[in-house]
Amino acid sequence: MALNPAYEAIGKGFVSQYYAFFDDPNERSKLANLYNQETSFMTFEGMQLQGALKIMEKLTALTFQKINRIITSVDSQPMFDGGVLISVLGRLQTDEDPPHAYSQTFVLKPVGTSFYIQHDIFRLALHDSL
Amino acid sequence: MITGDDYDYLIKFLFLGDSGVGKTSVLYQYTDGLFSSKFISTVGIDFRVKKVAYKIHGKTKRICLQLWDTAGQERFRSLTTSFYRESMGFLLLFDLTNEQSFLDVRGWLEQLKVHAYCEMPDIVLCGNKADLEEKRVISPGRAREAAKQLGIPYVETSAMTGQNVSTSIELLLDLVMARMETIVDRALQPTKEPLVDRVLSPNMDTVHLVDSDKQSWSKCSC
Repeated sequence: MALNPAYEAIGKGFVSQYYAFFDDPNERSKLANLYNQETSFMTFEGMQLQGALKIMEKLTALTFQKINRIITSVDSQPMFDGGVLISVLGRLQTDEDPPHAYSQTFVLKPVGTSFYIQHDIFRLALHDSL
Repeated sequence: MITGDDYDYLIKFLFLGDSGVGKTSVLYQYTDGLFSSKFISTVGIDFRVKKVAYKIHGKTKRICLQLWDTAGQERFRSLTTSFYRESMGFLLLFDLTNEQSFLDVRGWLEQLKVHAYCEMPDIVLCGNKADLEEKRVISPGRAREAAKQLGIPYVETSAMTGQNVSTSIELLLDLVMARMETIVDRALQPTKEPLVDRVLSPNMDTVHLVDSDKQSWSKCSC
């Protein structure tokens, strides 16, 4: 498959859709449709998960209600299988907590005219020393 | 700004427990109006400072308490592990009106065993929100029994009314001071080596005894 020239727009569009679902507790369950039952991988704060079911178990168990999110940058690259690699840098504030910086990386895998999330890695940008 | 002469001991406590159990509120109740908090974004930890006088063998020691709050990162199950290691005492909170937060106490203790400076650090278990009597799902008996099995003291607190908030922190301070005294006594017994070298274990470089390594004061951010 060829490189997808629209990778930049796909990256930006995907990120805004993904967080629109994620940040609304009533919509969060819709994220399930973006993952594959078997071939999606997620690493959430070092915890490794495979398949939409396990990933959704993790995401719906998060205890916050409100999320304030500010995206600092979305960097995308086309992949040789027609997919898109996306790296997000941002800050999020859960409920009344202070805002934390985070980084999230996605690999979108093409299926027909659409994509699913093949890889998803999330980390809060917390360091181990001052 | 606190200089080296302002206190005798610097003691760090970490507040732990599920999100929503009231860690920040308890901290706020304990230090409200006295000292503002500082959020350190690189490590995602919030801390407050309170200076207290502590009587030991008839002498009053000035203690600088640094109270570390996890500031929401526990929601992601990510905790800056160096803060476990550097803390000398732990206030482990659960919500008396929330069964899950009580069940999760064991998980937090497991984390502590792995990351704290020793396997059995000083911990005080707090059942918070004791003011919400009509919503309570964890009876005092059940909590006390669990604490007994775990071998840690239990206190029922309310950040709302202030019930036992100071008591729980002072209890933890008693435990930590008693442990330090034991270590110091032991250190003093066999040889006349400098106190500091013997008191400080490699992982526990946070006890700054008076007249010890002055340079390290500058690292204290309180």
